[in-house]
Amino acid sequence: MQQIKPAWRDGYFRAKVVTVKKLSPDMLEVLLRPESSWPTHVAGQHIALTIEINGRLTTRVFTIASGANTRQKEKQIRLVTKVKAQGALTPYLHACMPNQWVNISAPMGEFVWPKTEKPLLMIAGGSGITPFVAMLDDAINNTAVNQKAVHLLYFAKPNEHVLMDELSAFSKRCENFSYAILTKQKDGGVEAYLSYFANAHWLVCGPHTMFEQVESYAKTINAPLSSEHFAALPVLSDTSLSQSETFSLMHNGQSLTIDNQQTLLSQLQQAEQPVTYGCGMGICHQCQCVKKRGVVRDTRTGELSDSAEQLIQLCVSQAVTDLEIQL
Amino acid sequence: MNNSVAIDKHHREETIEHVHLPLRETQETHVTEATSTKKKPNYELLAAQLDEIKAHIKQKVGAEDAAYIRRIILIQRICEWSGRVLLMLGFVQPLLWVVGVLSLATAKILDNMEIGHNVMHGQYDWMNDKHINSKGYEWDIACDGASWNRVHNYEHHTYTNIIGKDRDFGYGLLRLSNDFRWRVKNLWQFATYIVLSVLFQWGVSYHEMAAERVFFGQKKDNRKNQVTHSELKKRFFSKGARQLLKDYVLFPLLAGPLFLWVFTGNLIANLLRNLWTSTIIFCGHFTGDVETFKEEDCVNETRGQWYYRQALGSSNIKGGNLFHVLTGHLSFQIEHHLFPDIPARRYREMAPKVEAVFKEHGMHYNTGGFLKQYASVLKRIIRYSFP
Repeated sequence: MQQIKPAWRDGYFRAKVVTVKKLSPDMLEVLLRPESSWPTHVAGQHIALTIEINGRLTTRVFTIASGANTRQKEKQIRLVTKVKAQGALTPYLHACMPNQWVNISAPMGEFVWPKTEKPLLMIAGGSGITPFVAMLDDAINNTAVNQKAVHLLYFAKPNEHVLMDELSAFSKRCENFSYAILTKQKDGGVEAYLSYFANAHWLVCGPHTMFEQVESYAKTINAPLSSEHFAALPVLSDTSLSQSETFSLMHNGQSLTIDNQQTLLSQLQQAEQPVTYGCGMGICHQCQCVKKRGVVRDTRTGELSDSAEQLIQLCVSQAVTDLEIQL
Repeated sequence: MNNSVAIDKHHREETIEHVHLPLRETQETHVTEATSTKKKPNYELLAAQLDEIKAHIKQKVGAEDAAYIRRIILIQRICEWSGRVLLMLGFVQPLLWVVGVLSLATAKILDNMEIGHNVMHGQYDWMNDKHINSKGYEWDIACDGASWNRVHNYEHHTYTNIIGKDRDFGYGLLRLSNDFRWRVKNLWQFATYIVLSVLFQWGVSYHEMAAERVFFGQKKDNRKNQVTHSELKKRFFSKGARQLLKDYVLFPLLAGPLFLWVFTGNLIANLLRNLWTSTIIFCGHFTGDVETFKEEDCVNETRGQWYYRQALGSSNIKGGNLFHVLTGHLSFQIEHHLFPDIPARRYREMAPKVEAVFKEHGMHYNTGGFLKQYASVLKRIIRYSFP
């Protein structure tokens, strides 16, 4: 089947790469044309993008940085992402050729334009700007919502702000929208700005630390808050094995506390969880299961796994981060 | 590494317990013949060297291997469907029917050996493909994939050639070493072997149930059940029935008036597949020089000792490119047993290195042409027909 329809895969949608463009030294813009059966997203939602890298299907989640109306009109969606040198997928996005087929998931996520009468405060950190650009893209053409006052606080490292011309175009077209380009170094932390917007509905998308600051402040003044935040993966080093650490293991809806010293299999057995196993040394694949997320270490080679969905063998895997598996 | 040793211990404690239990097969074991009296190699060095070969190849595994397995799957599909169509064209020209049978047999062989066996070993799990992985793949054979996974991947590959643990050694039907007491029925075991070969897919399918004594015989105590007997029965009959329906009812009926053409064609294709797979598999484990091991050998075994046992319990067959593909690279049985989860096509480049390592340790690298190895198998079957 894949001979006729490249990248045709059960359970995925297909999309064709239109262009891949550098926005800044480490930000990349990817335009995709999803197949027509793809259910159009609501601005603010994300998709899982799957591409084949050296034979391996690798999946990462990206927020769509364009509105639903753009998809209707131009039949395409846009992803804007930071390229991480150590990343599993983003460094390979450069190599995506126009007209190449990739796989995407249906749109997911609840972080969308809120149903509220209040004015909006958008707080973006780094690449957290993407859902807001998508929302603004849709809102600007919608007379029902563009009467609302919207202010955007856009934090990023110096010279790493992207999509600036689009933001200025938005503010020119719609007088109710205003924005501030900020850097933590020059303008200080996010808290300093929040008190001016106590009566607004807050939307925050950015790194975890930023989200925590906003969240605690929102609690003190009771401001309504919608959020989406990403935890950057901790920098993983081989020395971490010497320290005993504990993580949480989610499996089939249950949660278990585990450490990084024993294998997952022995800890599941100690917790008397129903687990199939065989040789206990990584040969027979009886204890194999699907890891939904998290990183594990192969006890035989010390190799670290990918952080996305994968098959792992419990008897030769140790936790490196919190994990979710399917037994 | 420490942790996997910990779990090994846990696991092996069970094994030790079992040694003291009255086992049917170990009771029968004659301990007259020490299986290996030769000088033992330096196990740590052996393990390190073989691990290095593995790590080296593992780095190379990538797009090439993914493209390879997808290409094989494509060829398999083409063979299967052209075979099934050609079977129906037999009335135009009987030769087409012959080509159809061969094509379908090839498809079944490719599906069972190069695709099914290897994919179910987890050799392509790294691809993250929903269909090409050891959990998801189901093959065109009477045997239920999960059952095969338990008996083959776990018992056979972990306890290779340990008498009483690895039921693949003689399949509980043939006496292939002095480890088993001679019985009268062994006199006609050559005929048993022929029957087993002809019905090989059913042998493989029934294998786990025979071990579990689901239908007949006294239950053995050393088997920890992972699946209930009723589940085993259900899976056996449902998969078996599906295969029978497909090959002997559905496709023949689709052919309408050509019912018999297709029926016989499928029968012969299945027969060819059975003969081929059983022959290759016998050549991999039952040639004259293959050694057996006792249950004690496996207690507290190190990785090096495990490698050593895998090495001496297997034998290779020399041959050309097509031959290797059709055997699912089980012609590299030694490499397969040392590295069961490396994509099988890589065994070719690993073989010379493995052979060199064996030589260094004074270990026998059991290989030879097909005829030589097969003659050796037949000799072994006949030799042990007699006391």
